[in-house]
Amino acid sequence: MAKQPQTKMSRALQRRENVAGYLFMLPSLIFFLGFVVVPMFICIGYSMTDATMHQKTATSFVFFDNFINLTKDQIFLKGLVNTFIIVIVSVPAVCAFSLWVSSAIYKLKGPVLSAFRCIFYLPVVTGSVAVTVVWKWMYDNYTGILNTALTTTGILEKGINWLGDEKTALWCIILILFTTSVGQPIVLYVSALGNVDQTLVEAAQVDGATDLQVFWKVKWAQMMPTTLYILVITTINSFQCFALIQLLTQGGPNHATDTVMYYIYWTAFKLTEQAGHFGYANAMGVVLAIFIGLLSALQFKLAKEK
Amino acid sequence: MKIKKLLALLLAMVMTMALVACGGNQNDPAPSNPDPAPSTEPAEDNKTPDPAPAEPAGASEITLWVYPVGGWGEEANVKALTDAFTAETGIAVKVDYLAYADGDDKVNAALSAGNAPDLILEGPERLVANWGANGHMVDLSDMLDDTDKSELIEAALTPCINAEGKMYEYPMCMTAHCMAINLDAFKAAGADQYIDLTTRTWTTENFFKAIDALYSHFGQTVAAVYCAGQGGDQGTRALVNNLYGGTYTNADHTAYTWDDPKNVQALTELRDAQGIDYDASLAGGDEIAKFYQGVLKMAFCWNSAQQINPNSAGTGEGKTVTGEEIVYMNFPTPDGSPAELCGGIWGFGIFDSKDQGRIDASKQFIKFMCDSAHTADAVSTSTFFAVRTAAEGTDLSAIFDSELLNEYAGLMLPNLGDYYNVIKGWAAQRTEWWNMLQKIGAGEDVNAAVSTHMAAANEAAK
Repeated sequence: MAKQPQTKMSRALQRRENVAGYLFMLPSLIFFLGFVVVPMFICIGYSMTDATMHQKTATSFVFFDNFINLTKDQIFLKGLVNTFIIVIVSVPAVCAFSLWVSSAIYKLKGPVLSAFRCIFYLPVVTGSVAVTVVWKWMYDNYTGILNTALTTTGILEKGINWLGDEKTALWCIILILFTTSVGQPIVLYVSALGNVDQTLVEAAQVDGATDLQVFWKVKWAQMMPTTLYILVITTINSFQCFALIQLLTQGGPNHATDTVMYYIYWTAFKLTEQAGHFGYANAMGVVLAIFIGLLSALQFKLAKEK
Repeated sequence: MKIKKLLALLLAMVMTMALVACGGNQNDPAPSNPDPAPSTEPAEDNKTPDPAPAEPAGASEITLWVYPVGGWGEEANVKALTDAFTAETGIAVKVDYLAYADGDDKVNAALSAGNAPDLILEGPERLVANWGANGHMVDLSDMLDDTDKSELIEAALTPCINAEGKMYEYPMCMTAHCMAINLDAFKAAGADQYIDLTTRTWTTENFFKAIDALYSHFGQTVAAVYCAGQGGDQGTRALVNNLYGGTYTNADHTAYTWDDPKNVQALTELRDAQGIDYDASLAGGDEIAKFYQGVLKMAFCWNSAQQINPNSAGTGEGKTVTGEEIVYMNFPTPDGSPAELCGGIWGFGIFDSKDQGRIDASKQFIKFMCDSAHTADAVSTSTFFAVRTAAEGTDLSAIFDSELLNEYAGLMLPNLGDYYNVIKGWAAQRTEWWNMLQKIGAGEDVNAAVSTHMAAANEAAK
């Protein structure tokens, strides 16, 4: 009986804390609901309609027609292949390179380490338009530094039209994406490596483990949460690669750099005369979200097993 | 349980607030003026503007979106004009400046969200064939009287009116798009013998001879059939159509006809010519920049505004960055006669906000800019040419002091060809055209590429 007032008191306190917590979350919640959750459901709804931007007739439900049409759309399929090429090449390359760089620099002294962090993080904080403009100059067919260097040194007889050639354009995009993606993983890995429990490392060394064994069996295992985060974020960023393509190639030449994300934009905002273009673009968005979700789930599962 | 109820209530409120906040409409109609003032003012008033602001016609502020139509893309120029309008009418004008790269996206998004501006400055391919055809524009035919019809150049007025007689654009200025050459480079290569500098014409045969001479002299690409995107595509269309006299659409603008064997021949010979590249890394603006830098020796994307201020760089009339002389030219034709040039006809359209007060105020703005004593200023700001001979008694035939512009008007404007841009499916066609050029440049069979993409364009034109 004596405990009852105390329980009531603690419940009241708990309630107050809960309310305060939810109120703190409220601003983020408004944006999350308004700009993520609600549009997500709108997108799913629209994906099953023949909605267009200039709606002359009432939107009607076409159910899964848009999704069926996607399987026959050669440009969409090409975009899907390009998107997967970007993801498959970019994600492992970013992870491996950032792990390598981090391993090399994390033991450096303060100012030197900061300098390296700055160098690799600079492309991340620089505006994507500025980065793209500089790369565009470098790739320039006529006066770009790459062609100038390759032709004046005699490596090439004639310059390559880097962004205008189907064989090279996508790789040029991937290279830029790579440089703008490694900054954050490097900073995260440097931090994760610094937080590795040294007693475990020393214990392994005392037990006769080689450097490689120490890395894979001790450090790598402890960095797994960081790796998982990097994998998921890099995968999502690679899937959603848009600005580079919009600013450099507009999906060309001959759809060589079309990605699902860019084709969504093109269908929704450029092909405004095409019947049902809005619904069709939303269907692509749903497919893209499914792929991202599946891949992220797979990464989580593999990381957990590891 | 109480906590849960409280939370549920809170969340419901949040969602409602978010929906209300996101559903705002800046164009929510103000109470409509039941007795709006006349949409146009008497001519006498326009001739001698009253310094005191007149009563607004129904809205105290209107919104205007402008594409970069010559000098209308620069805020300082436009502000002088809108300030004059506000001083005379009491109606404030809020201006937003669009770029061609993403202007359509912004307008389309605004139309979807119901936030379209009151007024927009662009050409018939958007105002009439796209937004007009989709029911977004106000019919302006009530603004035309017999005097206007007699003053307006027919070639400029016709594309502004659709087949049903609805006028979705009130034209203000026009130009003829042409090409340009680097005369110093031509002289250095001995290619100046192939051009007629007096009439600014040349034959197709001489064009290819000039390309050969330039390529032999400079040893690099001297001209680009740019195809990175749709920007400046009027240049590549005009080049291809004029080389052997092919057509782009049929006469009544209901179907695309660019599979014309003459066009196929032109596309093939352009690809085969050393010195010309189908360049999928350049769009029209990039080509102008390369020409201005002296890298390319000719530009297919050119007009009077570029001739006055090449590459918008402010480094001198008709000069490249290194001071070489730029000469504007007709596109080459088989017999060397003047080319059929693609035109630009720019004017204002009004988005249908269903608010008569705003529509009347917008019409007042159009009248001020396109048919009043201020029209000369509005047109000369664009650095293009007037679409009418006079406006409410003001002669518009010689509004420029510039010898260059007067010469351009005499040499190029008469060559304005068929304004086929009003055909249905125009936006889709543009995508097909540059994708087709990319395929041809990559080595695909010309006939196959032309057939595939023209069929897709015609599908959109149905």
